[in-house]
Amino acid sequence: MSAEDIRKPPKIAATEQMKQLITNYYIEAKTTKEKPICWITSGGPVEFLIAMGVIPVYPENHGAMCGASKIAVGLAEVAESMGFSQDLCSYARLDIGGAATQNGAIPGGLPKPDFLLCCNNICGTVTKWYEELSRFWDVPMFLFDTPFIHKSKPGHATEYVKQQCLELIEFLQKQTGKKWSDDRFAEVAMLSVEGVDLWKEVLKTAESRPSPFTCFDAFIHMAPIVTLRGTQEVVDYYKLLRDEMQERVANGVGAVADEKYRLIWDNIPIWYEMRNLGNLFAGNHACLVADTYTTAWAVDIKIEDPLTSMADAYTKVYLNISIDLMLDQLLALIERYSADGLVMHSNRSCKPYSLGQYDLARAVTERTGKPALIIEADMTDSRAFSEAQTRERVDAFIESL
Amino acid sequence: MSGEALDRLMKMRDDPYAAARAWKERTGGKVMGYFCCYAPEEMIHAAGALPVRITGENRDISKSGAHLQNYCCSLARTGLDMALDGTLSFLDGTVFVHTCDTMQRLSDIWRLNAGFAVHADLVLPVRFETSSAWDYMTSELASFAEGLEKELGPMEDSALVESIKLFNRNRALLAKLYQMRLASPGILPYDQALWCSTSSALMDKAEHTALLEEIITDLQAGTATTDGSGVPLFGIGSVMDQWDFLAMVAESGATFIDDDFCNGRRYFDFEVPEDVPPVEGIARRLWGRSSCPCKHVPSRDRGACLADRATAAGAKGAIFFQFKFCEPHAFDYPHVKKALDKAGIPSLNLEFEQGSVSIGQLRTRVGALVETIKA
Repeated sequence: MSAEDIRKPPKIAATEQMKQLITNYYIEAKTTKEKPICWITSGGPVEFLIAMGVIPVYPENHGAMCGASKIAVGLAEVAESMGFSQDLCSYARLDIGGAATQNGAIPGGLPKPDFLLCCNNICGTVTKWYEELSRFWDVPMFLFDTPFIHKSKPGHATEYVKQQCLELIEFLQKQTGKKWSDDRFAEVAMLSVEGVDLWKEVLKTAESRPSPFTCFDAFIHMAPIVTLRGTQEVVDYYKLLRDEMQERVANGVGAVADEKYRLIWDNIPIWYEMRNLGNLFAGNHACLVADTYTTAWAVDIKIEDPLTSMADAYTKVYLNISIDLMLDQLLALIERYSADGLVMHSNRSCKPYSLGQYDLARAVTERTGKPALIIEADMTDSRAFSEAQTRERVDAFIESL
Repeated sequence: MSGEALDRLMKMRDDPYAAARAWKERTGGKVMGYFCCYAPEEMIHAAGALPVRITGENRDISKSGAHLQNYCCSLARTGLDMALDGTLSFLDGTVFVHTCDTMQRLSDIWRLNAGFAVHADLVLPVRFETSSAWDYMTSELASFAEGLEKELGPMEDSALVESIKLFNRNRALLAKLYQMRLASPGILPYDQALWCSTSSALMDKAEHTALLEEIITDLQAGTATTDGSGVPLFGIGSVMDQWDFLAMVAESGATFIDDDFCNGRRYFDFEVPEDVPPVEGIARRLWGRSSCPCKHVPSRDRGACLADRATAAGAKGAIFFQFKFCEPHAFDYPHVKKALDKAGIPSLNLEFEQGSVSIGQLRTRVGALVETIKA
C-alpha cells in the first residue's frame, strides 16, 4: 500500500487545549519562584504533591517528548560519555544527559528539582536513576517502595505502603515547610478520582466499532492524567475530550479509514516512530484500539479511605504484578475491545515490561487463537530500531489476521 | 595447592553441582535452588533441605531464548537454560528473592516453565533504614518461613538456631581465610580463595565447614605457594565465576586481594546475631551487611564504602567485572569509579556475558591496568 492510499485520520480538536494545558504547566514549572519542584516517576502518587502545592515534574514525560522530537539519542550519548552504559534505560540516559547539559525538549531543560519522589511500582530502574539524580542535584530523595505482587498481596505489604504514605507526608512537610491538610488532600483525591473516571470514559469509547481514536492518540492525550491528575484543569480537559470522542461514536467517525482489524498494543510507545507506525497500521485498515500502557493510570481511589485505597492502587499497577496476573488483564482487554490480535513492543529499555512478553504472546494465542506480533525496538533510542524490518513484519502480521 | 581438603574442594569446580546431586542421592532430602544471596539459606537448611545457589554457567543458549530477550543478562538466560534442558533436574524447588527487574520476571517465567515442585518468592523491601521497612521485612521473612514449612516440613526454632550457628561458623572461617590472604596473599591464589566461598553455597554446610577448618590448618602450617608479589587489586561486581579470567589476571602479574562479589566477600560478610530471636537475627544480617546495588540504603554511600574497603585492603587498582545488561551495577559504576579515582585507585570496567568471554581481549586491558599501576 502506497502513502497516497492512506487517508488522513480526522484531527482531534481537543489536542489544542491539551497542548495549551501542558505548555502552561511547563511554563509555570520553569518560572515559579515560590512553588517547590519535585521530580516524580510516572507511577508515583502525585496527589500528595498537588495537595502540598508542589509542582510535579516528570522526567519520563520529558523523555517521551525528547523521543518524539528525535533529540533523545544526542542526550543519551552525553550520559554514555559520563560512563553510563548504552544498555541502561534510555529515559534515564537522556534525562541524565539532559540534566548535565541543561538541555532537552523544554528550552534550557527541565527545571531543577528541590527534592525527588521515586516510586518503584514501575521498575527497579527508577530507584537507581533517582539515586543518581539525588547525587547530581544534591537534593533529597524519597523512595516509595511498593512490594511486587507475584500471587496475592499480603496484609503486611499493604500496611508497609500505607505507612510510607504517612512518612511521605512527613517528608513533604519538612521539605516545603508547610502543614499537611487532610481536607485539601480529600479535595485533590476527589479531583483525581474524577479525572481518572473521565479518562476511563475516554478509553471506553474505543470499544465502539469503528474506534474514534487509536492508542497512538491515547499516548499523546494521556499526558495530563499522568502529570496533573488531582487538578480541576485535568477534569475540565477530559470532559472536553470525552465529549468529542462520544460525538465521534454517535456519528460513526473512526480514527482509521474503513477499520477492518482491531489490535491491542503492549508496552511503552516507540516515540520517535509513532507517526510512521500509526500510518503503517492505518494504511492496512488496522486500528490499535487499546493498550496496556495508558490503562495503567486508571487506578481506583476510594474517597472513604484514600490512604489505604491509594496504597493498594499504587501497588497493584500493571508493571508491579506477575505475568500470569498480566495475562488476565491482557485477555480482558482483548475481549472488551473485540480485538483481533496483539502487537507487543519488546523494549530494550524496559525489562519489567518486556521480559515475559514471549510467554505472554504464546499464552494469548493459545487462549484466544489470536496472533501476536513482537517488534524489537527501544522507546526513545532509535539506534535499536530497524524500520525496514519492522515494516516487513507488520505487513506479514496484518496478512495473517 | 596445599593439602588434601583444598584438593577435594578444587576438584568440585569442574562440576559445581555434583556435590548437591550426591547429597540428594545419599540423604533423599530436598534440594532448593536460589539465585540471590539475600536468600535466607538458614531457613531452608533448618527445614531439612539443601540450599544451592544457581549462578548460570558458560554455555550457549538453546532453550531459554524462547522466553528471554537477548538484552537480558546471561545469569538469567543461562540459568533458565539449565533449568529447561534438565541440567538442574536435581532441584526440588527454587526460591526467588526480589532483587532486580530481571530476577522478578525470571521468577514468573521459571514458575510457569521450569516445572519444579516448589516455588517460593521472598519480596524483601528495597528501601532500608526505616521502621516501616523493618516491620515489613520481618513479617515477610516470617511468612516466607511459614510457606517453606508447608512445602518442606517443620522448621523448629531450635533447628533454626542450630543452622544459624553452623552458617555463622562457616562465615567466620571464610572471613578468616580472606584475612589470612590479606596479610599474606601468597598463601593461596585468589581464584581458590573465591572458590572456597563460592562452593560454600553449593554443598552441605557442615561438610564444607569441616573442609574449611582443614584448609585453614594446612595453610597455617604450610608455606606460600606463590610469591604474592602481584599488584594487589580489588574486585567489584555481582557473581564472579570466570576462573579462566582470574588465571589470566594472575598471569598478568596481579592478584585480587579482596572483593565485593556476591559469591565472595558479600556472601559471608556480617554474621547473624545469635542473641535475638532467629528470624529477627536473619533480618538483621540482611539489613546490616554490605549492600548490593539493588538496595536503597540512603545513609551508606556505596562508592565511598567500596573506596574505603579497597584502600584498607591495600589495593592499588580495581576491576569492575559486570554482567552485560545488569542495570543496578551499571547505574552505580560512574559514581563508584569516581570515588575510587578520588582515593587514587585506578580502575578498569569489564563487561561480560557467560559463554562469550574473550580472555585474549581482556588480557590486553588488564595488562594495561597493571602497567599503569606499576609505572
